[in-house]
Amino acid sequence: MAITIMANSFTGLSFEVLFNAMSEAMLLVNDTGHVVLANPVAQDLLGYAESDLVNMTVEQLMPIRYREHHLNYRQTYLNDPRKRAMGKGRNLVLLNRAGQELAVDISLSPIKINHQLYVLATLNSTNKLHQVEDALEASEERLQLAKQAANLGIFDFDFEHNIIHWDNRMQQIWGNSNCSDGTITYEKFTHAIHPKDLAIYQTTFDKATDPSGDGEFHTEFRVIHPDGTICWVATAGQVHFEEGHPSRLLGMARDITPRKTLEEELKIQRAETETLFKQQVAIHTASAIAHELNQPLTAISAYSEVALHVVENDQINNPEIKRALKGCVEQAQRAGQSLHELVDFLQKGEISTEKLNLNKIVMDALRIARSDGYSEFHVQIHLEPHLPTVLANRLHIQKSLVNLLRNAVEAMRTANIAPSAITITVKTLQEKNMAMVTVQDNGPGVEQAIIHQIFEPFFTTKPTGIGMGLSISRTLIEANGGQLWLDPDTKEGAKFHFTLPFAS
Amino acid sequence: MTSQQPTVFIVDDEPAIRDSLTLLITQEGIQVHTFENAESFLSSMHPLNCQLKSCIILDVRMPGESGIQLQEALIDRNCLIPIIFLTGYGDIPTSVKAIKTGAFDFLTKPVTRAKLLTCIQAAFLESENRIEANKHNQDILTRLSALTKREHEVMVLAIQGCHNKEIASRLGISHRTVEIHRSNIMHKTGALNLLDLARIAYEGKLDNSS
Repeated sequence: MAITIMANSFTGLSFEVLFNAMSEAMLLVNDTGHVVLANPVAQDLLGYAESDLVNMTVEQLMPIRYREHHLNYRQTYLNDPRKRAMGKGRNLVLLNRAGQELAVDISLSPIKINHQLYVLATLNSTNKLHQVEDALEASEERLQLAKQAANLGIFDFDFEHNIIHWDNRMQQIWGNSNCSDGTITYEKFTHAIHPKDLAIYQTTFDKATDPSGDGEFHTEFRVIHPDGTICWVATAGQVHFEEGHPSRLLGMARDITPRKTLEEELKIQRAETETLFKQQVAIHTASAIAHELNQPLTAISAYSEVALHVVENDQINNPEIKRALKGCVEQAQRAGQSLHELVDFLQKGEISTEKLNLNKIVMDALRIARSDGYSEFHVQIHLEPHLPTVLANRLHIQKSLVNLLRNAVEAMRTANIAPSAITITVKTLQEKNMAMVTVQDNGPGVEQAIIHQIFEPFFTTKPTGIGMGLSISRTLIEANGGQLWLDPDTKEGAKFHFTLPFAS
Repeated sequence: MTSQQPTVFIVDDEPAIRDSLTLLITQEGIQVHTFENAESFLSSMHPLNCQLKSCIILDVRMPGESGIQLQEALIDRNCLIPIIFLTGYGDIPTSVKAIKTGAFDFLTKPVTRAKLLTCIQAAFLESENRIEANKHNQDILTRLSALTKREHEVMVLAIQGCHNKEIASRLGISHRTVEIHRSNIMHKTGALNLLDLARIAYEGKLDNSS
């Protein structure tokens, strides 16, 4: 009946054509809540034929639990009918013919025809929305996983309430385990920061909360746990402003203690090797001068004694000659003694040795060389997995290795070798009960003419070098009971070997 | 170089040192030969040198092969000549190593006449002892090498304290044969008794393994 009326009401059937052509499910409902028209998509969605749908009340299309509520809603709506767009409309649950519940988003448009009020309801199955939600959930989950993998803690500082919301990981980073409500006051939060890092933290914070700035908050500082453990933290965050005031700081934090510890170790090691090198330069300089003076002193002393002996044996009775020659001997000996004392003073102190894993020293030296700006080379490392420990001074061996690596890199740099490569091999020399380390580069090698000079102090081929590296390295290795030499075969680049005695 | 006079070999790259020390030592009537580097010394080495009462005065620091490397080369050749190292400054760890690997002594430059001559005399004494010990070792080796394989087996068991009866059963030979072997062994080695035989066998083994 109704359809006929409707059909007659819209001459040319243009509404119905349009209605049926819509890709969304649509129902036309009259003021008593009865369906008067249902388009094919709606029939499809609900599982009813149009003839079944017509004259059903919309409440009949709902689960019983929603029916009464909807009835009331419908009355209210009819008293003040207005257009309700999708999304702002109602979320409804409908029942299809098979009795399955469908979540739909619904928009309503009131239509007046011949003083009769109709409501055009557009149904949008929220299955699609569900997909979006699922995707959101999945992305949330991925974020969570990433957060876990990166071990990130999240915090959210509410300026107005002076409270920080933080997640479990964040609390862990702060060493707190008893803040189950997930909040902490800002004061307590900053109280954990190491006193020495408080200034840098505050400066960064002030800068980030300055409304004229970009609100970026990046800093690293130490946090002291209640049990006294110290933890290095890196934070990154963003301050949000409202009406020119900071309102919120959202950020994350990461425990970077291992990295910091490594950096610290490296810094200390570098400082130690630097000091060692400076000392060695002084010692070598003094020794080299002493050596040069010593040769003529030795000859002077011996010549004088020869002459003195002649004078005494031949019974030449000339007290002046005797006195002069004795003086020569004594003064030459005295000069030698002074030089001895000087070098002894510089070399004072026994070297302390420990059992060392040479494989580890190789890796440490590589790290130091790379962090010193000698990093542009490929490296091939052949370690011996179960190498027995060697007895040596860690710093001495490390410094010698770093020197060899630096020399290799500089030689390849000067010769413009690309790609430059260094091969480091650690192996056992069974017959000598020693470990041997070989550092080989693919540079131009060492010229035959200077092979005998490269270990001499002050000998260098570099414009800025002082010529101490190899000389000191050799001394250091020899001081530890080993030897350092250049392989005579330099066809495939320079190849240096050094040995060290095993601990047992 | 083959004369039987006690000889000092000086290996030092510094001409003034070679010259002054040569003068000083020859004043004592000791024969001196000098070399400007390790290589030239090694190439002039004659096996007979090892039988000569002598010593080497060796500079630790030299261009090319160092004093320590020369020492190693000499040890490899079973050279018996005692080495006195002359060291400068900053060579202390090197010196320690030299002593550990069997340097006879080391003297620091500039060295006094008195110290040098005392050291040379002591090294000559050491040289003699080494030559003597070496001869003794050679002698023992010669004596032991005269034994037949079976005699050697009998000797090993005998010095372990086995009685003739036990030796006989272990080697599957008669008691009488063992007695003959033992008598031959004592004769060939010149051992006075079983204890002396054990000593000779021990010294011979020592020499073999070194």
